[in-house]
Amino acid sequence: MTTTTKPAPPSGGGMNALNNLLVGVGKSVGGIVGTLYQAGRDTIDTVIRNILPFMAFIAVLIGIINESGLGDKLAHLVEPLAGNLIGLLAISVFCAIPILSPVLGPGAVIAQVVGVILGTRIAEGDIPPQYALPALFAIDPQVGCDFIPVGLALGEAEAETVEVGVPAVLISRLVTGPLSVVLAYFASFGLYSSSSS
Amino acid sequence: MPLTVMASGLAHAADPTVEPPGGVFGALADAASWFIGLFQAGGDVFLGLVTGIIPTLIVLLTFVNALIRWIGPERIDKLGEYAARPGLQWYPVRYLVLPVLAVFFLTNPMAYTMGRFLPERYKPAFYDSAVSFVHPITGIFPHANPGELFVYLGIAAGITGLGLNTSDLAVRYLIVGMVVILLRGILTEIITARMLARRTATTEGAAA
Repeated sequence: MTTTTKPAPPSGGGMNALNNLLVGVGKSVGGIVGTLYQAGRDTIDTVIRNILPFMAFIAVLIGIINESGLGDKLAHLVEPLAGNLIGLLAISVFCAIPILSPVLGPGAVIAQVVGVILGTRIAEGDIPPQYALPALFAIDPQVGCDFIPVGLALGEAEAETVEVGVPAVLISRLVTGPLSVVLAYFASFGLYSSSSS
Repeated sequence: MPLTVMASGLAHAADPTVEPPGGVFGALADAASWFIGLFQAGGDVFLGLVTGIIPTLIVLLTFVNALIRWIGPERIDKLGEYAARPGLQWYPVRYLVLPVLAVFFLTNPMAYTMGRFLPERYKPAFYDSAVSFVHPITGIFPHANPGELFVYLGIAAGITGLGLNTSDLAVRYLIVGMVVILLRGILTEIITARMLARRTATTEGAAA
């Protein structure tokens, strides 16, 4: 959408004014429609390239986990961890360990899979729903830990900054990971509490 | 319905003669139905995801994408210059307003390019802050990180499964996420400053 500055129209004629009006309206409407259309195109592109493939992946995983009986075994494994604050803190500390966090990070695949597994357990009633909010933070202290050098490079950081920045972020996560779980725990008071016993 | 009558008659006639398959073939048949059952269940999940999430998501994404194009993401560049200023009152700008707007308008991963307005010593903290927001934002604005929706959606699906409303969860996730990125930015900035100081001390010591 480019707006070109037009020379002042030569004097005379309502015809010219009308023309200008029509051109102006046409351009702005065309701009709005064009933008919406382009936005729609981007959206469909995103859905096909990013969202649907992940849904297929999740569907296969959930189908196998739920139908094979693996889900119940996982539930026994996850229940004591995800159903209380101490367990969630343990998960977050584990995910924030500086050596593990870059390994667990890529594409947030681990966080998404664990999120889906916890979600199915919440739906089954194994984990009380008010733990949903702290759980969201407990499974995610490693977010972006795999991407620090690239992310800093996108911010045009110098090599020295990257050298310092990678360990700085990883160490910071060890503190802020569990801290975020505690914050979320206190923020979840009154969230779905009526449904809990 | 003569056909059904005939079929039921057939089934009835066949009933006593056909036993449930046993032995090797029975085991194979059981295994086959168990195997295909896994994927039928997966198919049901997939259908649920596609019909339950995709339609709203497409409309929402289209709207927000158009909105971002109209506003113009280059407008937040000015904010980056404010965020670079030292002083306590600029902390919330640097680690709260700037990351939130960057992630909203530029989305993952282009949001991190906003770090270029900041001095080197703030860059790791800004990255930490911005990257920590790419999941909390997806609860309400999925356009910011469409490839990683299931961190939130996975857990939210459990809430939906209980018949509860997920809006409350999405809002709290967003708000707690904002508090967390502010704290994370401040702490990482302190750690970065310490490490930079130690590094210059050691290089000076080596040079001396």
